[in-house]
Amino acid sequence: MDKQNKSKDKGVKRRDFINTGVRLALGVSVVGTAAFTLKRSSTGKDYVWQIDPFKCTQCGRCATECVKAESAVKCVHAYALCGYCDLCGGYFKPGAKLETGAENQLCPTGAIQRKFIEEPYFEYVIDEALCIGCAKCVKGCSAFGNGSLHLQIRHDLCLNCNQCSIASVCPSDAISRVPADEPYKIKGDFIIEKEV
Amino acid sequence: MVTILLVLAGVISLGWWLATDPVSDFVTTQPGLDNRGEGGVVADIDIGAVGETLASLETELTETWPRFRGEHFDNISSSTIPLIDKFPEEGPDIKWSVSLGEGHAGAAIYKGVVYVLDYDEEQRADLLRAYALESGEKLWVRGYKINLKRNHGMSRTVPAVTEEHILTIGPRSHVMCVNRTDGTFNWGLNVEKEYGSEIPLWYTGQCPLIHDGKAIIAACGTALMVALDMETGEVLWETPNPHAWLMSHSSVMPFKFGGRMMYVYSAYGGVCGVAADGPDAGAILWESTAWNHQVIAPSPVCMPDGKIYLTAGYGAGAMVLQLSASGGSYSVEVLNEYTPKEGLACEQQTPVEFKGHLLGILPKDAGPLRNQLVCVHPDNFNQVVWSSGQDKRFGLGPYMIADNKLFILSDDATLTIARPGIREYIELDSYRVLEGHDAWGPLAIADGYLVMRDSKTMVCLDIAADRK
Repeated sequence: MDKQNKSKDKGVKRRDFINTGVRLALGVSVVGTAAFTLKRSSTGKDYVWQIDPFKCTQCGRCATECVKAESAVKCVHAYALCGYCDLCGGYFKPGAKLETGAENQLCPTGAIQRKFIEEPYFEYVIDEALCIGCAKCVKGCSAFGNGSLHLQIRHDLCLNCNQCSIASVCPSDAISRVPADEPYKIKGDFIIEKEV
Repeated sequence: MVTILLVLAGVISLGWWLATDPVSDFVTTQPGLDNRGEGGVVADIDIGAVGETLASLETELTETWPRFRGEHFDNISSSTIPLIDKFPEEGPDIKWSVSLGEGHAGAAIYKGVVYVLDYDEEQRADLLRAYALESGEKLWVRGYKINLKRNHGMSRTVPAVTEEHILTIGPRSHVMCVNRTDGTFNWGLNVEKEYGSEIPLWYTGQCPLIHDGKAIIAACGTALMVALDMETGEVLWETPNPHAWLMSHSSVMPFKFGGRMMYVYSAYGGVCGVAADGPDAGAILWESTAWNHQVIAPSPVCMPDGKIYLTAGYGAGAMVLQLSASGGSYSVEVLNEYTPKEGLACEQQTPVEFKGHLLGILPKDAGPLRNQLVCVHPDNFNQVVWSSGQDKRFGLGPYMIADNKLFILSDDATLTIARPGIREYIELDSYRVLEGHDAWGPLAIADGYLVMRDSKTMVCLDIAADRK
């Protein structure tokens, strides 16, 4: 009888031990996850995808590889770098007349508006609703101008996929995760980390 | 009943579909949407009205760099003074430094004096400034009031200097001739007003030419080219401009071929050779419209066998013409034309001919060789003999040869010394001389002093080896 009771007592203790252990592990993981999440949100260490304009080679894949039907990549304009030229390599096809006719424009969707400011300056404004992120203007601006036109991932459009489909095919590794509290790499606003 | 309703609905839908224009809200992209202005009235400018003498100079220096691309129009110094092939640890010896208006105007040097046509942003004036080569002391200024706005810099030409005269051309094509020694005004010409010329984008880049006592200017208005007496400013001849060619940033290059001296000019519209002397002086000896680009900055490189190498940026690439002479008449044919990725092409500077090869810096749209210094042989401009390598890229800055050394200036004013060769690129040293940017103004060298600039500062370096 004593032997039986003794054996029964031993079995209960093992079960209690396992139950307690499981509860403790769950508790620790829940508290840990909550603490980690709280810490991340409080320190702003979420990450989003962004393009380094100094690495971008204007290959055109941003327009076609994004999972969204209309790419989340758009051209942006660093006005401080712009020369406001009459002959803009980002606006005009090479050798085209310096007129706003569609046949002269480099942009396939007419997403750049050109406005005369005063002699000899012209302003170029991107209509993001029309921009498809093809980088044709960026290529022209980089080759013949100051490089003020460049691509950026728009976070109001980006789904922030776990694996960015553009980043996986980017030939120059120009797309990487950046802190969500500094989601853009606008030319003139950040310094190149390393000269290539 | 249902069938009738369905038919009726179908007819209405079809009518609506036919009547509705799905692109009615589209806006046609057509010329004029930028509201470009009509252009202002050409201003009357009192050329030569501004000036003062500040100091006089006694000097024993005798060498010259008298114009754009030097004495022989080849960007090669004929000086025999040995030059350094390595910079001192602390950098080159900067003898003096001056602040200039934003621009890319290069200097000319004549017997110990540096001349540069600057735009003074405070005085709002084009000013020809004279400095002592050794000390940088200001000697005199001469110029004229004119309102200009920044347009990737303002000044961008090199004066032409002879023993008696200095000839300049300003951003809006105002030609000024002054006495060399004291800057006394001789005569002026408002090219835009006199010839109805259209000023190129980013202002005038054509450097003036003094040749055989004449001022040679590509006016590209009612006259294509004009020659004026250097003493009086009197017009000696005017070349007609039947095709209404426009002024480029290229400069007029003298060239003797087929027994005749001619002036070769690459305009917007075409390239031509104009008789320099004889009873038909000023007549077009030959022309070609095959070379016609929107922006042309480099000047033609004319080779003794009649090849004329033409290049430009903005995707233009290069073209090689073959000029032939027979019985006093000339003909020209296109030998080769290619894109910047296919051979030697330059956006801003003119290539240098060295030992039968051409050296030049490729533009940004030249593919893997972009911004590299390359060497080609004129028998095959498409085959690069050597390049400076992917770790040694330059930009739009100038390059020249002196004392068998190649001096190359990068956009950020890093000066590189290399050994010019026809087999490989051999770099000797490099040093960032200035902290500015857009160091595009042509280099000038005389008596072992190198004058260079970035967009706002000009410096004089003592690079003579024997003075070290």
